[in-house]
Amino acid sequence: MRDEPETDLALMKFGIGQPVPRSEDPKLLRGEGRYTDDISLSGQAYAVMVRSRHAHATIRGIDSTEARAMPGVLGVYTQADLEAAGFGPLKCPIAFPNRDGTPMKTPPRPALARDKVRFVGEAVAFIVAETAAQARDAAEAVIFDVEELPAVTDPVAALAPGAPQVHADAPGNLVLDYHYGDADAVNAAFARAAHVTRLEIVSNRVVVNAMEPRAAIGSYDPDTQRWTLHVGCQGVFGLRASLAKDVLNVPPDKVHVLTGNVGGSFGMKAPVYPEYPCLLFAARALGRPVKWTDERSESFVSDHHGRDHQRIAELALDAEGNFLAVRLTGYGNAGAFIYPPLPATINAVKNVVDVYRTPAIEVNSKIVFTNTTPIAAYRGAGRPEGNYYMERLIDTAAREMGIDRVELRRRNHIAPQAMPWKAPSGMLYDSGDFTGVLDDALKAADWQGFDKRRQESRARGRLRGRGIGSYLEVTAPPSKEMGGIRFEADGTVTMISGTLDYGQGHASPFAQVLVEKLGIPFDRLRLLQGDSDQLKAGGGTGGSRSALVAGQAFVEASAQVIERGRQIAAHILEAAAADIEFSRGRFTIAGTDRSIGILELAERLRSGMSLPPDVPSSLDVAHVSDNPPSSFPNGCHIAEVEIDPDTGAVDVVRYAMVNDFGTVINPLLVEGQAHGGVVQGIGQALMEHTVFNDEGQPLTGSYMDYALPRAVHAPDFRVQNHPVPCKSNILGIKGCGEAGCAGALPAVMNAVIDALQEHGIRHIDMPATPEKIWRALHEPREETRP
Amino acid sequence: MVALNVNGKSYDVNVDPETPLLWVLRDTIGLTGTKYGCGIAQCGACTVHLDGEAMRACIVPVSEAANRKITTIEGLAENGVLSKVQQVWLDHDVPQCGYCQSGMIMAATALLKSTPKPTDEDINAAMTNICRCGTYQQVRAAIHAAAKA
Repeated sequence: MRDEPETDLALMKFGIGQPVPRSEDPKLLRGEGRYTDDISLSGQAYAVMVRSRHAHATIRGIDSTEARAMPGVLGVYTQADLEAAGFGPLKCPIAFPNRDGTPMKTPPRPALARDKVRFVGEAVAFIVAETAAQARDAAEAVIFDVEELPAVTDPVAALAPGAPQVHADAPGNLVLDYHYGDADAVNAAFARAAHVTRLEIVSNRVVVNAMEPRAAIGSYDPDTQRWTLHVGCQGVFGLRASLAKDVLNVPPDKVHVLTGNVGGSFGMKAPVYPEYPCLLFAARALGRPVKWTDERSESFVSDHHGRDHQRIAELALDAEGNFLAVRLTGYGNAGAFIYPPLPATINAVKNVVDVYRTPAIEVNSKIVFTNTTPIAAYRGAGRPEGNYYMERLIDTAAREMGIDRVELRRRNHIAPQAMPWKAPSGMLYDSGDFTGVLDDALKAADWQGFDKRRQESRARGRLRGRGIGSYLEVTAPPSKEMGGIRFEADGTVTMISGTLDYGQGHASPFAQVLVEKLGIPFDRLRLLQGDSDQLKAGGGTGGSRSALVAGQAFVEASAQVIERGRQIAAHILEAAAADIEFSRGRFTIAGTDRSIGILELAERLRSGMSLPPDVPSSLDVAHVSDNPPSSFPNGCHIAEVEIDPDTGAVDVVRYAMVNDFGTVINPLLVEGQAHGGVVQGIGQALMEHTVFNDEGQPLTGSYMDYALPRAVHAPDFRVQNHPVPCKSNILGIKGCGEAGCAGALPAVMNAVIDALQEHGIRHIDMPATPEKIWRALHEPREETRP
Repeated sequence: MVALNVNGKSYDVNVDPETPLLWVLRDTIGLTGTKYGCGIAQCGACTVHLDGEAMRACIVPVSEAANRKITTIEGLAENGVLSKVQQVWLDHDVPQCGYCQSGMIMAATALLKSTPKPTDEDINAAMTNICRCGTYQQVRAAIHAAAKA
């Protein structure tokens, strides 16, 4: 039997580069996805967290007498219970040195606040009851005896003498005094510069708002002394390691982490959150599974937030507009506890270089504790800000120096022939055609036709502006990743990956790689992810890494399958292994028509054929790849906005983007990622704003107060690829997940400033809300910072 | 006891009549395709049809749904064949994380019933569901395709 498809046709339809529809969609759009809250385990009880209403207070006592007596309540637990059971705190896995070489402050986080609360929403206790409603009622009955303390929410205020102290062992609230770069070289460049452009600029705090609230189910098997956690996350292997090592103090094989469908994460669901140890504790204490699902009002304060940096950004130029140096100085708000990756540090360094030949950079970041929800990763995690600052500086410098903004960019581009190029961030760029990408984007956006469109807008009383947002991202640093290939009894082939699809759609593109490399029919390939028992390694999904690292791992694993297959085929076909060739799914004796297909070979193995001891008994491989280095996806986005001067409202009316993602496995998925990143960028640029009052109370804690982009805010995007294959990984992939935000923040904001510049407005911070723009247009000029 | 008709099947559910329909569908009946997103009718993840009209099930007390025809995402396909809107969603690769898409599909189905040939403006006005993955362009393209089909 020939079990392969007509392989040329299969490659045309399902190989690398083809727009193969996502294999998970038929389930998702029938409502058959299995997100965490859709799962119920037999006998499960329900947990509800009791959260602090105070931003900063000493806990004098917790009275749960009444709560314990309420109907259905099975237990009320505090940090003392967790500690008595030997549960350790959550730990921060990263440590940067301070500028002076001393270590940064990384106070561990107890799952439940013990002596004091440090932000509104911090969990202090939890209830487990027969029903979620009973648990919720009981949570209301827990009485806290607290002494309120003054709170601080702004990093600059938190560093001031006499500010409230968030952690006793972090005096002055300073987490880290981060420094990168050659300060002497940068100072010298600024001293000899013909022009210096300076902006005080903010990256506003956003609430991540994955549409699926966080949820988890903990269970415990006393016979095997094994814990199981069903949870939405970004990688089960890493989450298992943190839980086992930091919290439970058990070997990793005593913990099983399972993740089904995940309803969005964008960086936010990656770490161990306090609820997870609580559920595992209660599951063992009560001898039944315990389920917890956040409510949206809790998500607003308990999910880690993103962004929240304040900067002075400076660019030094010579008289011809050549960039001499760029310097970022400022603050990153950490919130009340430290989580990776500290976005205002290394990711800002890597991305501020962008696509330009700036010889010297310096980044100074004071990372500061405040009485706010912790800040962690959100789509790009410091990367979009790096590009945002640079692109805003360039447009501002172009206006100040009277140089065309397109020409200023061209003049400073790193040329393709300069590759590989050692960036002042320490990164070695392997490839890129930045001027070519810019030129394509200008065409895609009809840059030349703008004046006519501006006249037309003006005739309707609207201000029109256009903005360029070029970007270059540095994807996640290398880590180990598994690429497992298993030939199943039912004739399917399982791809096992330690990456985790939380909306990206990994199943189709990973299968496309194996269609290409092993000639296995697309419909026989299944993706297995989200089960820590199946993994030998796994870095999870984040930092735009998955196609790149899983692609590499599956290509390497395919080569191992072929090598095994050659030896087995040699035995079956009675030839020497050296004479066996593999092509398009078939092992063939060179120069003959005698061959066997890979799936047929797998079936012969399953049927129990006898093999000599030196021939592999299976095609299966559980390969772990040492991942290739970071890649450098880049692109140019061009936005056009219309502003109604009477209301200050901004509409994004045109949007074109040209991206270099290197080799694209599946253009459908990549376009979707680009759309989504830009929509999130538009959200941060124009509407999303997280506000705390002076007492540390969040004022934007629901969809009535916190604006998110909806259909009306997202125009139809024109998306083009300008691929220059990456040279540092097998498939030439550059990664696309976070790029949309990196291009959109500067493109949209540069367009807003462009529309307003005839009114003398030079700078507006994100979010450019109608009120902010209206005030800038109608109030005296000092309202907009010089 | 509240009598419900969901996707053509009858259910007698023993719940507080004030319980939001969403939780009865998910927790009592076990139809988990309808999602919780906010509980205040702002995000649309819980959109279902009551007598063919799109409603946000998180704010509809189950008593108000009694004796009306309730349709959820699980009730759109007939004999395993995707509805027209589900099919265009598939053709246009609309879902990303997929969590909001049950509500999106229910809202789009209702829109096409009331406005068979919607403009972009009609779609933007009617489709106020939040999709954090930002699938809005594909949502519009899919709805236009369904209108032409």
